[in-house]
Amino acid sequence: MTASAKREAGDPASPFGNAQTPFAGFGLGLRVPHYADILDARTGPHPDVDWFEIISENFFEAGGLPRRNLMRVRERYPVAMHGVSLSIGSSDPLDMDYLHRLKTLADLLNPPVLSDHLCWTGAHGLNMHDLLPVPLTEESLKHVAGRVRQVQDILGRRIALENPSSYVAFDCDEMSEWDYLSELTRQADCDLLLDVNNVYVSSVNHDFDAVAYLDGLPADRIKQIHLAGHENNGDHIVDTHDAPVTGVVWTLYGKAVERFGTVPTMIERDGKIPAFDILVAELQTARRLQRGVLHAAPKERAA
Amino acid sequence: MTTLANLQTLFQRHLLEGDAALAPYLARGGAFLPVYRNAYGARLREIMAGEFPGVAALLGPDRFEATVDVYLADHPSTHRNARWLGRHFTDWLGATDIGRRHPVLVDMAAYEWALSFAFDAADADALPPEVFATVPPDAWPGLTFAFHPSLRLLTLGHDLVDFRKAAAEERDPDNAPTALEKTSGWAVWRDAESLTVQHRPLADDEADGLSALTDGGDFSNLCDRIADHLDASLVAARAAELLGHWVGAGWIVDLGGFTLDAHAD
Ligand SMILES: [Fe+2]
Repeated sequence: MTASAKREAGDPASPFGNAQTPFAGFGLGLRVPHYADILDARTGPHPDVDWFEIISENFFEAGGLPRRNLMRVRERYPVAMHGVSLSIGSSDPLDMDYLHRLKTLADLLNPPVLSDHLCWTGAHGLNMHDLLPVPLTEESLKHVAGRVRQVQDILGRRIALENPSSYVAFDCDEMSEWDYLSELTRQADCDLLLDVNNVYVSSVNHDFDAVAYLDGLPADRIKQIHLAGHENNGDHIVDTHDAPVTGVVWTLYGKAVERFGTVPTMIERDGKIPAFDILVAELQTARRLQRGVLHAAPKERAA
Repeated sequence: MTTLANLQTLFQRHLLEGDAALAPYLARGGAFLPVYRNAYGARLREIMAGEFPGVAALLGPDRFEATVDVYLADHPSTHRNARWLGRHFTDWLGATDIGRRHPVLVDMAAYEWALSFAFDAADADALPPEVFATVPPDAWPGLTFAFHPSLRLLTLGHDLVDFRKAAAEERDPDNAPTALEKTSGWAVWRDAESLTVQHRPLADDEADGLSALTDGGDFSNLCDRIADHLDASLVAARAAELLGHWVGAGWIVDLGGFTLDAHAD
C-alpha cells in the first residue's frame, strides 16, 4: 500500500470495514455548559452546527447524566471522538483496559473520526495528564507506527493523530514534525487531525515555517481540522484553548483550506467557555472563510 | 534503555520532582520547559479543586494547594482518566496531622468523593417490588442483595451538606460544618429518574443492616443487626419496612442466594 493509494473507511479494500457516519461541515467540541442549548427540545439540530466532538475519556464511566446526554446528542448529530490518554508515543506497553473502554464507546457512537495526539502522557505506569512531545527520530517513529497499527487492529477502525503544540524539541531529532507525521501515515496506515493553531504555536516556539508544515503533509490523510485560541507570551506561545481563534491562525487556516479543501473543521474551547451562540458565531467565521477561499481558487488546491 | 524510554524517564522526573537532567537533551537548552512543569501542577490542582471544593473551602486556597501538592507527590496519577486522581485522598488525609486534628476535613473528603463517584457510576435497573413476591418463604433467610453501583455508605461526624453545597456553587457558606452529637450513617446514590446525586442520613439500625448486606451478608444477618437496636418482636416488621425504603429508592438491583427452580411450578 503506497501513500497515494486513497482508501476510505468502508471501502472494500480497507481492513476497517465499518460503515462510517457521514462527516462534513463544521462542528464544535461538546462541553457541559452548552448541553441546555444543544438539547433544547423545541429546536431541532442547530442549523449552523453539523457535528460535535467529545473528549472520549469523559464518557468512559458507564452511566449517569453524562451518558444520557451523550446519547441524546448522538441522536441529533454525528459525534467524533477525540482522546487525550492513548499515549501512543509512550515507552510503556499499550493499556489494554483503556483500549477496551475506547472500543466500547466507539462501537456505541460509530464516530466519523476517532483521534488522539502524537504524544505520550506518562511512563512507568504514571500519568502526567499532558500531551508530551516525542523525539522525532527513526526509533520513535518505528515504535509509534507499530503501536498505531496495533491500536487500529484492536479498535477495528483507522485512527487519526493530531499534531500537538510543543514547547521543547530534542537534540536528537532527526526530521521535521511534518515529515514524521507523513511517514507515520505511510507506515501505520493512519489518518491525521490537523490542528492549525498547534501548527502556529509550535512554529513560533521552534522557529519553523508554518506554511512549509502544511505543504509537507499528505492531503489525502487529513480527516479533520481543529481551530483554537492561544496565549502569546512574547518569546513563546502557549496553547491554552481558552480564547477566540486569532487572526494569524485564521490566515493559516485559509492556507490549509487552499491546500486540503473542505476538511471537516471545528473550534476547540476548553477554558473560559463562552455562551453557545458566541462559539457558533465563531464557527460561522470558519465557514465563510472556507467558502471564500474555495471560491477564489477552486483549481489551485491539492485534492 | 532506548533513547525514547530514557528521555521519557527524565522528562517525567522533571515534571514530578523538577529534576534538571533532561535539559542537556533539549534543543536550544529547553528554554520553555517550565511551561510543562507549571501546567502539570496547575492542571492537577485544578482537578482536585473540582473534586473537593468543600475541602478546599475548609482549608482555604493556599493551604489546600499545599496539601494537594503533598498528596500528589505521595499518589501521582496512575490512571488514564484524571477523574480518579482523588481516589486515595480521603484515606491519605485521614493519616495526616491536619486530618487527625480536623476530622471534618476527612469527613468532607469522603462525602465529596462519594458524590463524585455516584455521578457517573455504571447504570443498573432497579429491581421491581413485585420480584419479592416470587421469593419462596424458606429462601428468605439466605437471601442476598446486589446494590446499585452508585450507592456509597458513609459514616460522618459532621453536618456537611449546606457548607459543601455553598462551596461547590462558589458562594460563601452561612456556617461552618457543625459536629454531630454522634456519628451517623449516610447513603449517597444517584436517582434513576433525574440522574441527580442524592444523600440522606440513615437510622442506626438501617446503617448497620445495610453495611451487613453490602458486605455480602444475607437477610438473616440484616435481621440480626436490626435486633441489636430493637425488641425481637419488632424486627421482622422493621426489616420489611427498610427493604421497602431501599427498593423504593432504587438501591436494590438483584437478589441472590436462592434459585427460582424451588418454586418454578
Ligand atoms: Fe486540537
